[in-house]
Order: sequence, then C-alpha cells, then structure tokens
Amino acid sequence: MALTAIDIYKLLPKTNCKECGQATCLAFAMQIAAGKASIGLCPPASEDAKEKLSAAAAPPLPKVTIGTGEREVVLGDETVLFRHEKTFYHPTAIAVSVRDDVPDEEFASRLAAIRRLSFERVGQRISVDLVALRSASGDAARYARAAVAALEATGLPLVLLAPAGPLAAAAEAVAASRPLLAPPPEDLGPAAKVAAERKLPLRVRARGIEGLSVALADARAAFATSLVADPSPETPREAVSLATNLRRLAILSRNRDLAYPSAFDLGGGFPDPFLAAALLVAKYGSLLVLDSADPADLLPLLTLRQNLFTDPQRPIQVEPGVYPIASPTESSPVLITTNFSLTYFTVRGDAEAAKVPAHLLIADVDGMSVLTAWAAGKFTGESIAKMLAECGIREKVTHRTLVLPGMVARLSGRIEELSGWRVLVGPQESSALPSYLRRLPPGAFLPVHG
Amino acid sequence: MSGTPPTPGFPGRILAVTLPAGPGGTPVTVGGQNALPLLPEGEHPNAPAVGMEVRTGPMELPPALAGAIGPFAGDPAAMARKCAGDWGARFLFLSLAGCHPDAGGQSVSEGADVVREVLTATPAPVIVGGCGDEEVDTRLFPAVAEAAPRPVFLSYAEEKNYRLVAGAALAYGHGVVSWSPIDINMAKQMNLLLADLGFPPDRVLIDPLTGGLGYGMEYTFSIIERIRIAGLSGDAALARPVLCHLGDAWKAREAADASEGSWGDVNARGCRWEEATGLACLAAGADLLVCRHPASVARLSGAAWR
Repeated sequence: MALTAIDIYKLLPKTNCKECGQATCLAFAMQIAAGKASIGLCPPASEDAKEKLSAAAAPPLPKVTIGTGEREVVLGDETVLFRHEKTFYHPTAIAVSVRDDVPDEEFASRLAAIRRLSFERVGQRISVDLVALRSASGDAARYARAAVAALEATGLPLVLLAPAGPLAAAAEAVAASRPLLAPPPEDLGPAAKVAAERKLPLRVRARGIEGLSVALADARAAFATSLVADPSPETPREAVSLATNLRRLAILSRNRDLAYPSAFDLGGGFPDPFLAAALLVAKYGSLLVLDSADPADLLPLLTLRQNLFTDPQRPIQVEPGVYPIASPTESSPVLITTNFSLTYFTVRGDAEAAKVPAHLLIADVDGMSVLTAWAAGKFTGESIAKMLAECGIREKVTHRTLVLPGMVARLSGRIEELSGWRVLVGPQESSALPSYLRRLPPGAFLPVHG
Repeated sequence: MSGTPPTPGFPGRILAVTLPAGPGGTPVTVGGQNALPLLPEGEHPNAPAVGMEVRTGPMELPPALAGAIGPFAGDPAAMARKCAGDWGARFLFLSLAGCHPDAGGQSVSEGADVVREVLTATPAPVIVGGCGDEEVDTRLFPAVAEAAPRPVFLSYAEEKNYRLVAGAALAYGHGVVSWSPIDINMAKQMNLLLADLGFPPDRVLIDPLTGGLGYGMEYTFSIIERIRIAGLSGDAALARPVLCHLGDAWKAREAADASEGSWGDVNARGCRWEEATGLACLAAGADLLVCRHPASVARLSGAAWR
C-alpha cells in the first residue's frame, strides 16, 4: 500500500533542517505523500529511507515500451483499478498476427490488411498497434526475413512469437525497432538472455499467478528487466480473473514481483477471442494478440478501447463546425448545440431520427453540455452570433432562422439583436426534436432577401 | 511479498429480484451477489440474464437486423414466441413504441391489447416499455398495468412520472424499472422516492441509460461500476440489479452503414457492435441485457457466467 505522511515522517531525519525547502520534516512528508516532492530533495536522509521512499514513489505498475518513435507502444503505468477513480493512461495495445510459413504473396496481403486496420473516429485515429509474427516454419532465417518484411511493410512494432532459435535470429535482424520477445514457456531461459543483452522487452508466459511468480523471477535472474506477464489462461473467464488478479497485486498489494503489464495471446484456437478481447479491454489487459484481421472485429474493439481509455475528467470533444444531417438543402432548418461529445451524439441521433434534413452547428465551448456551457459563459448570444457569422452557414442556407436549444431560450433576444437571425426556441430535451422538427411550419425557413 | 491476489470484500449485497414467468415459463432471478462481476470470488447466486426486445410500431432496421428479425417485425406475438422459444431470450422487453404519436399512434387500448397478446403467446418474463411520449405514457402505463394478465415490470419510472408508474404497478402487483440519465445521484434518488411510496425494493431494477458503443458507452460503463460499488459497499438504495438496453448500439453509423466497405461486412459488424456494447455492460456489472439481434443472445450468454 502507499505510505502515509506519518509513515514517511518516521523515515525522515526529523531535524527540520529546511534543506528541502519545507519548514518542517512533517510538512515535507506530507508533500511526498501527496506525490508533490521526492526523497531526493532531502540530502540528510538515510540510505534506508531513500530506498524505501523511492520504491514507494515508483508507479505501482511499471511502464514497458515496445517499438520506437511515433509508433512506440506504452504498456502499464496505471495507478487505479477503476477509470472513475482517476483515469486509465495507456490503452490496451492490440496486435494482429501473421504467420511466417505462408506464401510470400499471402504474407504481403495479410500485412496490407493489418496496415488498413486504422480508422478515424471523433477526430482521433484508432489503429491496431502491433504486428505479432508467429513462427510456424521453425526456420530461423525465414523467420528473421519475415520480421524485417513485416516491419518494412507496416512500420508497426513487432511481437515476436517464436521459439529460441528463430527468436534470436529475428531479434538480431530487427533489434533497433525494439520488438517484444515472446518465447514459449520452455524457451524462457535463452530468450531472457537475448532480452538482457539487447535490452529488449520480454513477454514471460507461464501458467497462472504461481507459474508467473517463478518464471518472472527466472527472467529477472537472467537480467531481463522490461517484462510483460502472460498468465496463459485457457478460457475468457479465466483470462478476466487472471488479468484482474495481476492488476490488483500491482495496485492494491504493491507486489513488485508480480507487478507487470499483462499480455494475452487470444489466437491459435483460444476460445471466443472477440469476447475475451472485449472483456480484457474493459478489465486490465495491457496487450492482446488476435488472429482476426477482420475490420468488423477490430473496429468495435478499437472503439471500445477509445471509449474506456478516455479521461473521465476530459470528455472527448467534437470538432466545432457545421454538420449535415440527411443531405440538407439551402432551405433546411439550422440547429445549434455544443461540442461535448455526448451532447453532440444525442442531438445528432435525435435529429437523424426525425428524418428531416438539417444543418447542425456545433459550437466550440471546450466540450461542455449546453447548460454547463451557458453557466460558464461559453455559450452566449455573443458567441452564437459570432459563430453564425463565421462558420460558413450563411453560404449554405438562404434563410436566416436558427433553432436554439430550449434550455437556453433566454439567449434568443441577444442572438437576434447581434446576428440579425430570427431565433426559434426548440425543445428543452433533444428527444423531442423529431416531433418538433416535423411540426415546424413549412414557411419557417423561407429565403431572406436583401 | 505474498503472491496471493487480494480480494476486496464488500459488506453489502445486491438485492435479488425476480421477473415472474407465466405458467410453464421460467422466471428470471438476478442479483443476490456480494462481489464484483465476472470474477470467481464472493457469492454470485444468479448469472446475468440476456433478453430480447419485441417492438411495436414502424422501425427502420439496419441490414443486420433486417435479415434476422425483419420477418417478425410486424407481429409482436410471433416475435415474442421466436425470441423466447427459438433464440434463447430469457425474458422479453416489449416496447410499445407504436403508441407514440410520431410512430403512427396506436391507441392506448391497442397497446394494452398487444401486451395481453404477447403475455398469452409466451410464458417468458416480460418488461413492458412505454412509447416515450410523456402525455401518452401517463395513460399507457395504467392501461398496461390493468391489462397484463400476469405480473410484469413497467419501464420506466423516472423523476417526472414515478408516482403514476409506481402507483399503477403497485395496484396490480407489477415491478418497475427505475430510470436515471447516467447520474448516480439521480439513480439513488429515484429508488428513495419509490421506497417512500412503499414500493417493494425487490421489485425494482435500475436502468442507468445505456449509451451505444462509440456514442457515450464510457459514461454508462463508469456509472454502472459506481452504482455497483456503492451498492456492494452498503448503499441499499443502489444495491439493485442493473438493466441495460443495448438498442442504442444500433443507432451507431458503424453498426448500420453498409457503404463503408473498409469497415467490414455490415451484418457481422452490426452484431459485433451490439455484442461489444453488451460485453462492456457485463464487465461493469449489468445484470440484465436487452438485445435486438438473436445472435447477441447466444454470444452475450457466453459471458453471462456466475
């Protein structure tokens, strides 16, 4: 468990020497407990205190990186068990596999398919992160060539799923790209040696928590330091349980011997891989290897990951602008709402349900809902008039009539005064939009002249 | 250092709630657990239950649904038999959307007739949903409560109408689904208000509002987790089974748009969209899932373990 200020205070010299910049040792202890200071600021601290306190300050789940540069994948480094407690920082990494024993043409087209598993959603790019290269040929030279080819074709970091011989050959060929070495359990010894020599991350696979505690110790004894733990479950149910246990050991028990990001190979006949993957995105999987390269599988998984790894305190914002609903024309209604993603999705969904073509204006209010933005002074007569003038809607419609959310009806006068647009007060709740839009009189959006 | 994983113990327990069945049917009991979902710890006397939606009124079906349920879409009784009989739904969510003025406006008494018809067609447990029009629902719920030949659940009671819905349910021995818009305080408040009316707590389910995958799912996920942890930690007003209606999953463009070839087959994709939404709900702690695609019943039941 994390140390309290009193625990920390007991380890300090208690001389109130002020060298750390704080008035007393107790004040300094409170700063450390809050994560605002480190023991390094206390020169007189004993070696024992330094060791204990720097260990306590390290993240409960260490960070492991795979790949380099822009494509670097970060695993672990999480601090909470539930996203509402703070946030999850590093999204579950997803690797799609390719075998080294397929004909060249098939190999290339599979890599191209993996490369295409990248989608644009709410202004973010969501993509498969890694290629997992499965050694099936057993031929070390062929495997190493395949690793080079996979790296060249996709630019994605590699997970090398191979026995010791091919693994060492591929590690030599692509070491600079910082692949994850993923040997079968029986080849842990030689693979750990390669990982230590080349300073590469290593996936340690063993049966259950007990198996892992032995295997991880073996890997550390071979001086492999950057480790990822695969408890090799046999069912999705076991996978969720083991992933949860590993995460709890790291966060609740601060068990350094078992605190590693988790990895799961859901390919090679693992039962119900999609189901397991979705549950592990929600529950503590750090790295998943899938055999499916079907976008119908990957788009939902990547979307789920995008949802759950959003910082709950910083909601996804929608790009402000003019959004068309059902091919609107120059006489279609103009609606406005704010760029909080949930507000946008709700209003857009309800407007689409109305089956009335419309232009939806999304105002930039730093991702707040309509009422919150109004209360914060970000959704005002001034800001709306400015948007009407500058967003390009004047070129898209011949009328000058705006439907305003009913919650902020009081802004109507100011908008009309500043913009010259006529304001119709819409419903309080967007769920009433369909009936509201259908009941608008046909003359509501006639062109203005002059 | 001990390698034994820590298991959080909770003082509270989720209230067990039973959805009654008709003669020859199997009631659905959910809740009763004193631990977090999906994990082999604590007691989980009941597995989550997967049900299906039966709907009145016109509905534009996305391609994946058109193929699977299209042939039954116009006949609630036939659809109900199919869901409970062939597709493995453990309960039905009968949505009377057809009574909405914008949906062709079936009359309230026609809506009540459908309820009677469906309840006679199958002995499966049934939750009856209103049409969503505030004014119509104030007449619809009492009519449904009276017409139902056996106990059902009424969905939903919210801040504005809970007296009416709970009153109708109390008078005829039905249960209610207590609804709140992704708001834990409101969820609690609703259950306290129902308790003030003397509504039996073991006839209340929580509907936290389920956002579809990609369209607000994360809010639902965290609200369910917070409701569940609060309930297990001893907040009795939140210690109720959670119901998630996955219908919003099908509103996503990703679930329904056939024109995006790079997204994969629209049928497979639509099913996956509903499945992933449901799996996230189960991982957060949902006890009852309502789905639209028959394949989702089987798929989600695969993760509805105790």
